[in-house]
Amino acid sequence: MNFLNYLPLAMVVFPVLACLAIALGAPVRKTALATVVLNLALVLVVACFIPHTQGYHFVTSFPCISLPNFFEINLTLGVDGLSLAMILLTAVVSVAAVAVSPLNVRREAEFYICVLLISCGAMGAFLSLDLFFLYVFHEVALIPTFLLIGIWGGQDRKFAATQMTIYLAAGSLILLVGILGFYFALPEGARSMDLRVIHEILSSGRIPVVMQNIIYPLLIMGFGILISLFPFHHWAPAGYAAAPAPAAMLHAGVLKKFGLYGLLRLVVPYLPEGAQTFGNILLILLLVNILYIGLVTVAQKELNLMLGFSSVMHMGYIFLGLASGTPIGLTGAVILMVSHGLSAALLFGLASVIREKTGTTLLKDMGGLAIKAPMLAFLFITGALASMGTPGLGNFAGEVLIFFGAWKVHPWTTFFAIWGIVISAVYYLRAVRSIFFGELKTYPTEVKDFKGLAETWPYVLLVGMLVAIGIYPAWLIKWIEPSINLITNL
Amino acid sequence: MNWIVLLPPLIAAVLITLVLHPYKKISVFTSILACTISLGGALALFFSSSNEGLSSFVWAAVPGLKITIGAMGDHLAVLMLLVVTGVGLLIHIFSYGYMEQDPSLSRFYAKLSLFMFSMLGIVLADNLVMMFIFWELVGLSSYLLIGFWFQKPSAAEAAKKAFIVNRIGDFGFLLGILGTWAIFGSIHFTELKEIVATSGVPAGFSSGIVALVAFGLFMGCMGKSAQVPLHVWLPDAMEGPTPVSALIHAATMVAAGVYMLCRVFFILELSVSALDVIMWIGAITSIFAALIALQQNDIKRILAYSTLSQLGYMVMAVGIGATTEAMFHLTTHAFFKALLFLAAGSVIHGLHHEQDIWKMGNLKKYMPVTFWTFLIGTAALTGFPFLSGFFSKESILFAAYHQNIVVFSIGIFTALLTAFYMTRLVVVAFFGKERTHEVHHAHESPLVMTVPLIVLAILSLFGGVIGIDHYIGEHKVAHEAGGFYFVMGLSITCFLAGTAGALFIYLKAKAEPFSLPLLRDKFYSDEIYEACLVKPQQVLAKALSWFDYWVVGGVFVRLTSISAAGAGEILRLLQGGSLQAYVVMFILGVALLCYWFLVRVAL
Amino acid sequence: MNWLTEITLNHYLALSGILFMIGMAGVMIRRSILVIYMCLELMLNAANLALVAFNRFSPAARDYDGQIMVFFIITVAAAEVAVGLALIVSLYRLRQTTNVNDLNSLKF
Repeated sequence: MNFLNYLPLAMVVFPVLACLAIALGAPVRKTALATVVLNLALVLVVACFIPHTQGYHFVTSFPCISLPNFFEINLTLGVDGLSLAMILLTAVVSVAAVAVSPLNVRREAEFYICVLLISCGAMGAFLSLDLFFLYVFHEVALIPTFLLIGIWGGQDRKFAATQMTIYLAAGSLILLVGILGFYFALPEGARSMDLRVIHEILSSGRIPVVMQNIIYPLLIMGFGILISLFPFHHWAPAGYAAAPAPAAMLHAGVLKKFGLYGLLRLVVPYLPEGAQTFGNILLILLLVNILYIGLVTVAQKELNLMLGFSSVMHMGYIFLGLASGTPIGLTGAVILMVSHGLSAALLFGLASVIREKTGTTLLKDMGGLAIKAPMLAFLFITGALASMGTPGLGNFAGEVLIFFGAWKVHPWTTFFAIWGIVISAVYYLRAVRSIFFGELKTYPTEVKDFKGLAETWPYVLLVGMLVAIGIYPAWLIKWIEPSINLITNL
Repeated sequence: MNWIVLLPPLIAAVLITLVLHPYKKISVFTSILACTISLGGALALFFSSSNEGLSSFVWAAVPGLKITIGAMGDHLAVLMLLVVTGVGLLIHIFSYGYMEQDPSLSRFYAKLSLFMFSMLGIVLADNLVMMFIFWELVGLSSYLLIGFWFQKPSAAEAAKKAFIVNRIGDFGFLLGILGTWAIFGSIHFTELKEIVATSGVPAGFSSGIVALVAFGLFMGCMGKSAQVPLHVWLPDAMEGPTPVSALIHAATMVAAGVYMLCRVFFILELSVSALDVIMWIGAITSIFAALIALQQNDIKRILAYSTLSQLGYMVMAVGIGATTEAMFHLTTHAFFKALLFLAAGSVIHGLHHEQDIWKMGNLKKYMPVTFWTFLIGTAALTGFPFLSGFFSKESILFAAYHQNIVVFSIGIFTALLTAFYMTRLVVVAFFGKERTHEVHHAHESPLVMTVPLIVLAILSLFGGVIGIDHYIGEHKVAHEAGGFYFVMGLSITCFLAGTAGALFIYLKAKAEPFSLPLLRDKFYSDEIYEACLVKPQQVLAKALSWFDYWVVGGVFVRLTSISAAGAGEILRLLQGGSLQAYVVMFILGVALLCYWFLVRVAL
Repeated sequence: MNWLTEITLNHYLALSGILFMIGMAGVMIRRSILVIYMCLELMLNAANLALVAFNRFSPAARDYDGQIMVFFIITVAAAEVAVGLALIVSLYRLRQTTNVNDLNSLKF
């Protein structure tokens, strides 16, 4: 069992090695694909062997900076159920993202290196048990995202990339201040960046309320910007609309979940009093995320912008689950994090296929695609249905649990939040209607469907995961239950 | 045991979608076979008559909430299972004749099987969340089937509309479920029943809250069973293939709302005001739809409004507290309405997709089997004495008579209207002279279509006397109670009056003799929706989008970037390139620092 | 007239300060880059003087910390002179001037 301890490290290192190999001239696409598939296999191995007990498993630690009695930073990697769910998401979306990366893109090597680096950063962020590396890995992933959008992006790419990067950098800085504040709020002498130590300290004592009231807004704002919480959401739709498919898939699907993951790791368990002070503001903001952004989504005329806004909207639900603080709500939030990652990746990937095939992003210029491309239609409609929260697909399980969890704590907020399921049905069905149904419009080139499984398998993989969670969420719940217990029993 | 009922259609749907879709005949066969197996399973449940052999698995379990996928094996469920699988099987067979020419036959059957799966799930559900899961799935399969001919813009719009309106109902349903869970602490029907029976509503929950919860649950029914004001989707849903209209939008799915109400009746019962709301909405729906049906010309739309009206009856019955009567009517209605729709499908098939009754006429000569079965269906629906519909409708009216005389009057008047518009339909379509040339080319449908018609006709004839009502439970009001013959006499009179009136007016009519725009245009409900809901929401969405783009994106984001750029523009003036200016600034800075640290801090 | 007969730390520091001020004024005022450069060296030497003086008058100092520091500075300054003069020479070759007023192309 000993070699299992090195799997987390391997998951982070392999993409880096692959980047080096590609830089040195290895066959680009094959290397990248092999790496992400290997990572997925490693995640599955971890999933098979992980014990369903509390705490972190397969922990390895490498000292990095050590200033005795002041600051100690170790590269500590480990897995618990919660991070397992997240790295599974990362691995699956990475495979899909690499697989749908364009075949003949300019500066191919650099493109794939960027994609791999995002994957590596996300992996590292979810595996780190050290706050410092948690933060750093996320930053590592942001740089290639900027490059991908700025260099290979679509319309308005420079503005979108710059806006997104400035937003995220600002968010990260606020977050850093918050994390440092958190660190220094721990009792002197016992301070640590290690999540395990933090948990131990804080399960016997509490962070003073005064400090909580300072740290909580900082962390919520920092993570909130990363998650595109209203009013800090503006970077997301424009960024995703401009991003090339793999970047949008990886960012909307995986990286954005980092903020939520951070909230779940730091804010929900350790800052309950802060949540009490500012909870109502958060509730209002998340409702705005659901209802206001939902309506804004309805008004969108471009497919990619619509998808971008929709992914902002669904963050509101996850926030609701986190704000509930109940085991049911938190479990639902994690399931929705994973499912939304999968469905967002699916939709962004397919949106770029649609853009390629039709040569337009305007919904009104599309129509009747299902006649020519039934497989594309099937996959896209599945993604849309998943996002709308149709049973049988993962998002539904998450949303239902979130509503149950939040209902007893915040009935009114939940009441209004549920109206969101109507709004999301409106815009998704409208999009499906105008892209796929109706009469076939004329397009610059003849529309062709996917050529069988050889082209659809990345999407089929995502759909398969969504179905697996949707039909039987209990397996995922079993993974995350110990971690959630640890949070709620504090 | 329950899996034998539930899973075959799902397996068929998956198999057809993934593997079998290129082979049409095999797909059809698979789907029909799956439905047959389900029917067999349902029959086995019927005869075993106990809950033995039902199993469940845990779908999601979190501390405080356990959601299972299980099954109920009580009479209510078994009856509904038999209706769904029995009528479903007949319609599966019929569809093969009706849809044979369609290039996407396999897709049709896959969706049909998916629907069967979802519907059976609702029926079997042993808890509210499982019901909600399949509730949504039924909505989805309905969406897919209405939009089966998605190239037609009208079908695509109708599908979208159906899904969204249903979602509004589901919004309420979900709130109702959450409320039930919050009040009683359980979502499982048997547990809930026990809790309600032993302790009633826990302290701390006012009757208003209970009423709201009951109303939330009822909202689910309003969406699925198309009660006013969420009725708008059902007539449009006729854009789907006719067998779909028969199965989903007449016999089974729309009845799911009523089934659900019967399932949770013990919760609804806790609030008198909720029951009143249910009763009134049912009554209003029944008369409202019957009035609209008077002036429709599309054969399927007439039947659709008739369905609405009959659903109103059932909901009204639940509101009165007569669940047995409601389920009884649901069952007989499933028989004769499926029959009517299939016969209409046969007509449409024979006339090459002509649906306007004023372009038919004298069809009895060309399509005898269809004519006779349609006639039987009409007779059953309108309450021809001693046919199935007569008994079930009678029992509802009788219960209403003892409950609320106004509602009873509405029901009786609706019965009159029903007889009138159905006779109008039959007379115009099947009697008289051929109104268009195409009618001469009409042909009787093949056996695969007529046999299901005949079977359903037999069920419609005798469905009232085979003891369905006794199987479900007690009648609310015993026959010995007063007024039984008065009610029966009154309703037979209404039947005769309606039929005679329609015969008198339409037997010789060449075109519609009356024009009532208000009824023809469905009380302008689509327009009202458009003006009150759709448009405002669109305007709001546009306004918010504008706000987001210009205020959040423009003012906040651009202003920040512009102010940063402006600050840079000003500060660059300091960077003149003169080395010595820099030095001066540097030294000033150092001096300031020195002042701060040496003088200020030292003091 | 005690301050004339006995030389104390303050004398050294005053001298060092004066040297430093002269150097600074030169850097600020003179236009020839070579002279600015020499003034810079003057400021360095003012610092050196202060270091040595501090070391000499510190009661606790038994070693030669200050002097060592000065050697460091002298060494580094020598290296700096080599680099700096080379830069100035090549700058002169490029622009044919040593007047800083003419060397202002490095601006935003």
